[in-house]
Amino acid sequence: MAYLEAKNLSKSFGKKKVLDNLSLEVERGECVVVFGPSGCGKTILLRLIAGVLEPDAGDVCIGGKSVMEVGPESRGVAMAFQNFALYPHMDAFENIASPLRARQVGEAEIKSKVHEIASLLRIDHVLDHLPRQLSNGQKQRTSLARSLVHGPAVLMLDDPLRNVDAKIRYEMRLELPRVFRRFQSTVLYVTQDYKEALALGQRVGVLLDGRFEQVDSPVGIYTNPKNQRVANLFGDPPINLFSIRPERSDGKVVATIGGHRVDLGPARAKLEGQPCVLGVRPEDVALSFEPTQEGIPVELEAVTPFNVRTVTLLKTPDATELLASRPEDNTLATARGHRKGFARIDLERALFFDQATGARLL
Amino acid sequence: MATLNLDHVSKTYEQKGHPPTRAVIDFSMHIDDGEIVGLVGSSGCGKTSTLRMIAGFESITEGTVKVGHRTINDLKAADRNVAMAFEGYALYPPLTVEDNISFSLLRSKMPKKQASEKVRMIAELLEISDILGLYPPTLSGGQQQRVSLARALVRSADVFLLDEPMSQLEPHLRAKLRARIKDYLIEHQMTSVFVTHDQTEAMALADRIAVMDEGVLQQLGSPVDLKERPANLFVASFIGEPPRNLLPARVAVDGGSRKVVVQDEQGRDAFAFAMPALERAAELRDGRRVHLGIRPHKVMVGPVDGSGAAPVKGTVLSSQWLGDQTYLGVEVGGCILVVVADRAIQAAHDSPIELGLTPEALHFFDGETGVAIAHGTDLAAG
Repeated sequence: MAYLEAKNLSKSFGKKKVLDNLSLEVERGECVVVFGPSGCGKTILLRLIAGVLEPDAGDVCIGGKSVMEVGPESRGVAMAFQNFALYPHMDAFENIASPLRARQVGEAEIKSKVHEIASLLRIDHVLDHLPRQLSNGQKQRTSLARSLVHGPAVLMLDDPLRNVDAKIRYEMRLELPRVFRRFQSTVLYVTQDYKEALALGQRVGVLLDGRFEQVDSPVGIYTNPKNQRVANLFGDPPINLFSIRPERSDGKVVATIGGHRVDLGPARAKLEGQPCVLGVRPEDVALSFEPTQEGIPVELEAVTPFNVRTVTLLKTPDATELLASRPEDNTLATARGHRKGFARIDLERALFFDQATGARLL
Repeated sequence: MATLNLDHVSKTYEQKGHPPTRAVIDFSMHIDDGEIVGLVGSSGCGKTSTLRMIAGFESITEGTVKVGHRTINDLKAADRNVAMAFEGYALYPPLTVEDNISFSLLRSKMPKKQASEKVRMIAELLEISDILGLYPPTLSGGQQQRVSLARALVRSADVFLLDEPMSQLEPHLRAKLRARIKDYLIEHQMTSVFVTHDQTEAMALADRIAVMDEGVLQQLGSPVDLKERPANLFVASFIGEPPRNLLPARVAVDGGSRKVVVQDEQGRDAFAFAMPALERAAELRDGRRVHLGIRPHKVMVGPVDGSGAAPVKGTVLSSQWLGDQTYLGVEVGGCILVVVADRAIQAAHDSPIELGLTPEALHFFDGETGVAIAHGTDLAAG
């Protein structure tokens, strides 16, 4: 039995149906990420679970019991927000202690619990600071500490790293899993950043148009997307997509990609005659300057260094564009102007989608 | 297509009752014909003031700006032969997208057919072909930005100035459009200066990047230069994603052998390492306080034996697979190191892990001034 269950939740605002018969289960101690573009309904979902908003239909259960009749303060749910929401007149210690004071916890226990969590979140040296004296990163940790300190049944984080600068964002993203594990928290984490979703979720729910398109492990979402929309949302640069029509030729299943005939391999036999979309991620396109087996002749149009990788824009003879990416390559990155090359697609890792619906075929 | 020269340019804003604000201080830069230069820094660093001085939207307090051989200080914006895509440089609301883009072409007496063809091509490049008949007020922020870019890029001008050209761009279009724009600028040999707060964007597009802080140029160099030889702590912390690990440290010379002792946030000794390449760095004197920079993706993951890398033992905080790379958070003696690997790494949380520091991963900055002392890449080669 899952610890947190959202069952068939629906919510509309006027004519707009924001959440449409949505269900989600979160196991005890699990961190599930709700991922989707802005406006997809993620925050509404959190508010329904917290109890500050009522659904039009559906149920929320915590620990096996419906909490629909339970007020937000008694559901055992804590939330942390992207704007930190700290009490400006209280120092960090008092901010963190506030949920414990509200529950009449003894002074000694308050001190011990606050110091424990502050130490874990590395803000023990700024406990006497007021919020305006804290950096954004420290404010976010304080906000997080406050939501964790009383050991909530469910912790909900609404895009908490959005307003934190890059360096702190990376550090916190790497530290948060240990914090969740230490508190054995059941966590629902909302984000628009696909990297955060893959990094933090034991499972990721992709929320689009008020429904979960797919709920799966990070590996599952990335390597086994249910449809083209999901495939397109994970990965930067995004997946390359080609409209193809596989056919049989000389006993092989082939397709024309960028004006060049490619053998799709016997495993793709069932696609014969079916117009579909071939998806291949930039890291699965290998660019070389020597002719290779199955390499599509391309013109290298531009090289754009991209953080720890190098991305190239390639154009095939029939003017189809594709992006290839490889680990940081300074030599390639400083080259200017066009060059002829060959692009080999790793067909083992290619994905095939239905042309009309975008549903995943293979 | 021309060179652009900034010679000791300064901008000072006078405000009644307040001390003057020195927004740009003694900024010099020579840009070659057809070169693409990015101006980066946090907000308030002077990058936008610099661009606006080149454009003619701000007066130049001191110094000269030359386009080719012409000094343009006293020329009005419209007379500088400079094409612009500026935040706030509005599109003409009563004209369609198509007419907005072709406006300056037709005004310079280009034949209609030729102008239409140019518009068609740039629209295709920036993926706005389907909105050519629409009017600016009906467009999204991202679409307006692309139209503004199209309007500038389609012109022939000596210099192209772009202010945060892709800040509103829809994320799924960014990688492709960046590459297409870069290709377009190079193919047409367009001398370009763009401003961005996003160092990733600057690194992708620019031939060279000017990193600014508080009105002062910190470093002007190619993306490779900035990555491998940041001139100071500011550049080292600003350039690079994920951000470079930056840790306080001190040098200890023990019986002729040099060691680096890294400290945690609270000044306690965290871990230490030594490597042959350090022996060549005479500037790393015994007792010297430094800031140590460690590049996340130049750190080896796994047992180092035989590789020559300096081993550092830590505990895995988390191992996060992101599809095309893995992010590791490793705790070493109370410090947290961010490490990026090109492949999937099997590393259970709280498990022990050995990292290898290679010379290429390291930078040393003076503990007081932040100025670069030595870069591992150079020490290794020497």
